[in-house]
Amino acid sequence: MAGILNRFASEEEEVDLQSNKYLTFLIEKQYYAFPIRDVIEIIEVQEITPVPEFPDYAKGIINLRGRIIPIIDVRLRFHKKEEAYNERTCIIVVNISGLDIGFIVDTVDEVLDIEDENISAAPKISTDRSTKYITGVGKVENRIVLLLDANKMLSEDEISELSSQVQ
Amino acid sequence: MSKFEAGMEAMVDMYIYETTTLLEQLDQILMKTESASSFGEEDINEIFRIMHTIKGSSAMMGLENMSTLAHAIEDMFFIIREEKPVITNTRDLYELVFNASDLLKAEIELLQEDSYSPTDFSGAKQKIFDFVDVLKGKAPAGNAAQGTAQAPAATAAASQSAEPAEQKNSDFTAVRVFFEDDCKMENLRALLIINKIREDCEKLEYEPADIETNPESAKKIIENGFVIRFKPIGPVENITREIEEALNVKSYEFISTPAKEEKAPVQPAAAQPVQQQASQSVPEKKAEAPQQKEEGASVEQINNLLAQSKSGGTKQSLISVNLNKLDQLLDMVGEIVITEAMVTANPDLKGLQLDNFQKAARQLRKLTDELQDIVMSIRMVPLSGAFNKMTRIVRDMKIKLNKDVDLVFEGEETEVDKSVIDNLNDPLMHMVRNAMDHGIEDTAEERIAKGKPAKGTITLSAYNASGEVIIVVSDDGKGIDPAKVLAKAKKNGLLTKPEKDYTEKEIFNLIMLPGFSTNEVVTEYSGRGVGMDVVRKNIEKIGGSVSVDSKFGQGTNFIIKIPLSLAIVDGMEVTVGKSIFTIPINSIKESFKLKPKQLIKDTSGKEMIMIRGECYPLIRLYEIYGLEPSYTDLFSGIIILVEAEGKSACLFADELIGEQQVVVKPFSPLLNNFKVKQNGMAGCTILGDGSITIILDVNNIISNF
Repeated sequence: MAGILNRFASEEEEVDLQSNKYLTFLIEKQYYAFPIRDVIEIIEVQEITPVPEFPDYAKGIINLRGRIIPIIDVRLRFHKKEEAYNERTCIIVVNISGLDIGFIVDTVDEVLDIEDENISAAPKISTDRSTKYITGVGKVENRIVLLLDANKMLSEDEISELSSQVQ
Repeated sequence: MSKFEAGMEAMVDMYIYETTTLLEQLDQILMKTESASSFGEEDINEIFRIMHTIKGSSAMMGLENMSTLAHAIEDMFFIIREEKPVITNTRDLYELVFNASDLLKAEIELLQEDSYSPTDFSGAKQKIFDFVDVLKGKAPAGNAAQGTAQAPAATAAASQSAEPAEQKNSDFTAVRVFFEDDCKMENLRALLIINKIREDCEKLEYEPADIETNPESAKKIIENGFVIRFKPIGPVENITREIEEALNVKSYEFISTPAKEEKAPVQPAAAQPVQQQASQSVPEKKAEAPQQKEEGASVEQINNLLAQSKSGGTKQSLISVNLNKLDQLLDMVGEIVITEAMVTANPDLKGLQLDNFQKAARQLRKLTDELQDIVMSIRMVPLSGAFNKMTRIVRDMKIKLNKDVDLVFEGEETEVDKSVIDNLNDPLMHMVRNAMDHGIEDTAEERIAKGKPAKGTITLSAYNASGEVIIVVSDDGKGIDPAKVLAKAKKNGLLTKPEKDYTEKEIFNLIMLPGFSTNEVVTEYSGRGVGMDVVRKNIEKIGGSVSVDSKFGQGTNFIIKIPLSLAIVDGMEVTVGKSIFTIPINSIKESFKLKPKQLIKDTSGKEMIMIRGECYPLIRLYEIYGLEPSYTDLFSGIIILVEAEGKSACLFADELIGEQQVVVKPFSPLLNNFKVKQNGMAGCTILGDGSITIILDVNNIISNF
């Protein structure tokens, strides 16, 4: 019994170890990060099939080894200027509650340990939409990393857009 | 599911599946015999076998209540079979059995819930016992009337025991069979032997005679052995071999044979050496038998044997497979189809002279095509199962509503995907109930007055048409009164345009709107206000559609269209600029190059295309999807005439690429926010070269336009 408990404990530790790790990437020289446990893989930009009637930040769909996953351009999502993809451009494939989705980023930086005490809550003052999907602000050395919630990047904005239309 | 012992839980699914199937069979037999108003011997045997199996497997699962109820029915049919009483109150008999079948079905439903507690069936059982008493009371009269001579197969009733048998000893062989210790249910095992040898015997008696009805007889068999007296048709060896081979037989002895007739009866002790002899002669058999026997499996073995002996030559080898595995298999085959195309149409091979490769590739294609066909066919199930369930509903409602109705099937062998059929039961039931309750006239006089036969007809028909299965539920009843429907819809505020603008077809389809129910009175069967919109929703869930057609005073047709399969479609690929779209072949009527005289514009400048005197609206794909096309000139591109749910339109695209079977991949649910479905995109698919195309949903495109 004790053995089982120990095993559980060590598993939890492992999860804990993962929970402080973040994959950072750059969009217009600003660092952002996804929690590493949500990230499936990083792939090169490949041919994206556009889907009509998608918002412009939803670039379309790709065929990833027989699975079809939607692709979101983070640059456009954050209302930045569109830029041509180059060899440093990557797609980060993230799992949102069992479903895969790819995010196009300027470049992937590294996997960082960010301790909880170095994370402060997301700023609430701004009415800028982009703060909606920021879960916190991490400070590592002299860098500021904005921690993202992949799920909200996809949906939250749509809801607020809709409700603003209703108003 | 803690209601079962450990180790039994794994069997629950199997048990539920098996018992449900058996109960359905039972219903079918009952229905068949009821309409033919006679029980064939085969039917009785079949019912007996079904009840026997349910009894056995229920007992194995520890479901005492179900087991005993099944037993009661089994007993009843035993008496019917063996004593052939004249059944005067057939109606009661059917009610009893139908009722019991319903109880068992309900119990199985309950079983699948977590908070299961056994239902008390003693009321139903008592009714059966009462009925059996009635049967028994009349039994002698029945026997006398029929005469025992007419029924040579009828075995000795309890009264005809040892005495007459001994007199007839001259041509009888008597055998005493002992079963293995602790093999349990000796009476049933004995019965098994009797069933096996019956055909080979001219005359057959056994003791105890009540093995089938009286579980206590098992004790007698343990104590005294099981005595069989028979007069064989062929050589005695045939019979003895059967007995030797029967399961769990420890030993058997000859009490008397025609040759030894003088000795045997006077000197019972003389049987002793014979017994030894006999048991010595079958030592191998004895050794084998216990090996076959596995503890706890004995009930199943009996059932299997019963089933085998019954089904005889028409043995089917079936296995049941978890549907998830089939789904996985189908997915896998889909991947293989794509990969095959990826390999054989690989861009690296372009321009190369590869004769052997091409040959091998053709062979591969042929095999993958076959593989796909087989996998698809595995999932196909005939509609007859779903149809047969309706017989029961019609039968029950016939009695309750006192309407005389025939249920007719047409094309019930038509096959549809398993996932489709599961979603079809409820809608079908709803529609049949509707037809019974609202469709068919209340009285025969009413029908005769209208010049129709007194007996109403409900027809369930099914057939294949262009990649779809069409199921029609029609009745020859009252039909739908458009004026009434319109008034009702108006009252309920369901109308969206002026009353007189509604065509008859549109009016009928109002019935399917939520909150519509034409029947003023709520009956047991319909009129709860949920009605046809539930049917429509269920059908639409599986990608189908429902429409209504009716002639007031003559009858109503409900037409269900469902796709043959949900997973793989034949598609036509078309290009619009750089995008490739797949249009399901079954929605394409034709494609052609436009001629100048076909193009017409209405007053507001809307483009229409005239084909053979009919006018269709023109939809430019690049316009609705905001794409950059190669051609904007209608005469350069291609026009595709499409139809969905009775609506037609012309689509304008750049070019046709070709036809291909594609595996439908639904859009990621993450994209639900982007309203892909509403925009006329049904899903996407991966082409041979790995690129993705979008499958268009013609129906949505037309209705959006």
